[in-house]
Amino acid sequence: VSRALRVLPLGLVVFLSILGAWIAPSAPERLEPRLAWCTPSALRPLGCGEAGVDLLSVVSHAELSGIALALAVGLGGLAVGTPLGAFAALARGATERVVGRACDLIQAFPTFLLALVVLSAVRAPSRVHLGLVFALTAWAPFARLALVETRVLREAAFIEAAFALGLGRARVLARHLLPNLLGVVAVQLGSAGAAIVVAEAAFAFVGMGPRDGVSLGGVLDQGVLAMLRAPHVLLVGAVSVFVTSASMLLAGTAVLDSRARARPRASFG
Amino acid sequence: MRPLAVAFARALEASAVFLLLATLVFFALRLLPGDPATLVLGDQASPSEMARVRAQLHLDEPLVAQYVRFLRGIGTLDLGDSFRSPGVPAFRRIAFALGPTAELAGLAVALGGAMGLALAALAFGPWLGARRTWIEQGMVALAASPLIAFAPVLTYALAARARVVPLPGDPDAGPLGLVFASALLALPLAAHVGRTARASLVELGRGQFLTVAAAKGATPGRVVFVHALPAASGPILAVIATQLGALLGGAVVLERLFERWGLGTLILEAYASRDLPVLEGAIVAAGGLFVIVQSLAGFLHGLVDPRGRS
Repeated sequence: VSRALRVLPLGLVVFLSILGAWIAPSAPERLEPRLAWCTPSALRPLGCGEAGVDLLSVVSHAELSGIALALAVGLGGLAVGTPLGAFAALARGATERVVGRACDLIQAFPTFLLALVVLSAVRAPSRVHLGLVFALTAWAPFARLALVETRVLREAAFIEAAFALGLGRARVLARHLLPNLLGVVAVQLGSAGAAIVVAEAAFAFVGMGPRDGVSLGGVLDQGVLAMLRAPHVLLVGAVSVFVTSASMLLAGTAVLDSRARARPRASFG
Repeated sequence: MRPLAVAFARALEASAVFLLLATLVFFALRLLPGDPATLVLGDQASPSEMARVRAQLHLDEPLVAQYVRFLRGIGTLDLGDSFRSPGVPAFRRIAFALGPTAELAGLAVALGGAMGLALAALAFGPWLGARRTWIEQGMVALAASPLIAFAPVLTYALAARARVVPLPGDPDAGPLGLVFASALLALPLAAHVGRTARASLVELGRGQFLTVAAAKGATPGRVVFVHALPAASGPILAVIATQLGALLGGAVVLERLFERWGLGTLILEAYASRDLPVLEGAIVAAGGLFVIVQSLAGFLHGLVDPRGRS
């Protein structure tokens, strides 16, 4: 399968969500108690949830905002983590050890606890708050990868030459290292994005999601409540979480294979 | 480094991480915009009510004095009484919640480890022939499946349809309910353990000692389980340690799904009702649990695998 094709499922998810949000019969917050828990029909393609919310509308909007959140936080993590990891590897010694160990710990740490600490200080958590909480830890995998990769690159002749020419560490980092790191580090975008989509759903599932209830986790929560009465709600929620996460992971692997072509490439200047 | 020095370094690091978490918990509530007393009572509270809560939280003292009091409270397991159940110390509520969560997570680690090792043995040993790659692909798919998506669906299929396990919220769920919840929590762990174990088995297979064992007449089962897997235990312990955080987060989701009592339920309840002493104590306790188990796994890793000591 061609690499570019691996981005296709994610594109399809986005396209279908936009289409769904457009053709959906009502806004995601609109309640129609008369239709509560109704099964899928021509009028309501995915059926209704609690108090008659239109599931197609909720799922489409939740997918779009979830993917937007994942992209924003993932790119933010990449922008912060890559220079940090590269800098630590260039500095060597204690800095390298501390940053590496911190990345390990943060990646193993229960993010959930960290998020609770911050969210409990906010009156009504919104999606922006959730994004900020995820950003607290999102940089770690990127920094870890950049650190490992720089350990190899720092021995390369073109880096040595740059230092020999008298360039400072910051300049070597910005002009010579980062362009070579980006292709490798971007591999992490897919799994970081998928993790954020899943984490957002998990927070909404346990009742800490955005107040408007437009979240995949909210749909799952309703589905568990009405497991016996309206199993379609549960299935719609689970399938959309799964498809979004899987399509992001797959899109991430499209970058993975292109790294061979992108490296090694010295930049001049 | 000698084992004792390694243990000391581990303990030092664990204490530093724990102190950092406790400090974060303390300052997040006091330095972020928003008065904690208003968070507890809402906007409509009378000034005398506010004054009472502020006194109870010691918000009228200088920040440094509050911080010292908070750390001492953690040290002596006394963070004051719960707001929601007046008269009950916060740490007593936390102690009651720790047991069920430790049961759930501990059983999940045991099940996940056992399933992972079995999968790795199947994917490495000769029993399945060419179909071994199916196991490998299955593990990749399982590791990529979010717990939040497959746990409710499996619960629906097995509890509501097939009726072989108790429904969520069933007060008489008993041991079967616990085993089912742990098994769900164990599935992603099994996939991670299985993949790591298989990778190290393949790595070990390049060495000579497995061939020697087979040449001496050991059965394939003996080669895998007696000779190869113990040598691969270092990376397996390491992957379990890195999955601990995900396990703790998953435990919260599953406690909510099955309406089980536990640390996650307590944290969510304390969060919803802004029961600050319980919330702070429970987060610190969960973080402490994580730090202890993590450094224990790291220490064991160092003991088992001499290559880890550098």
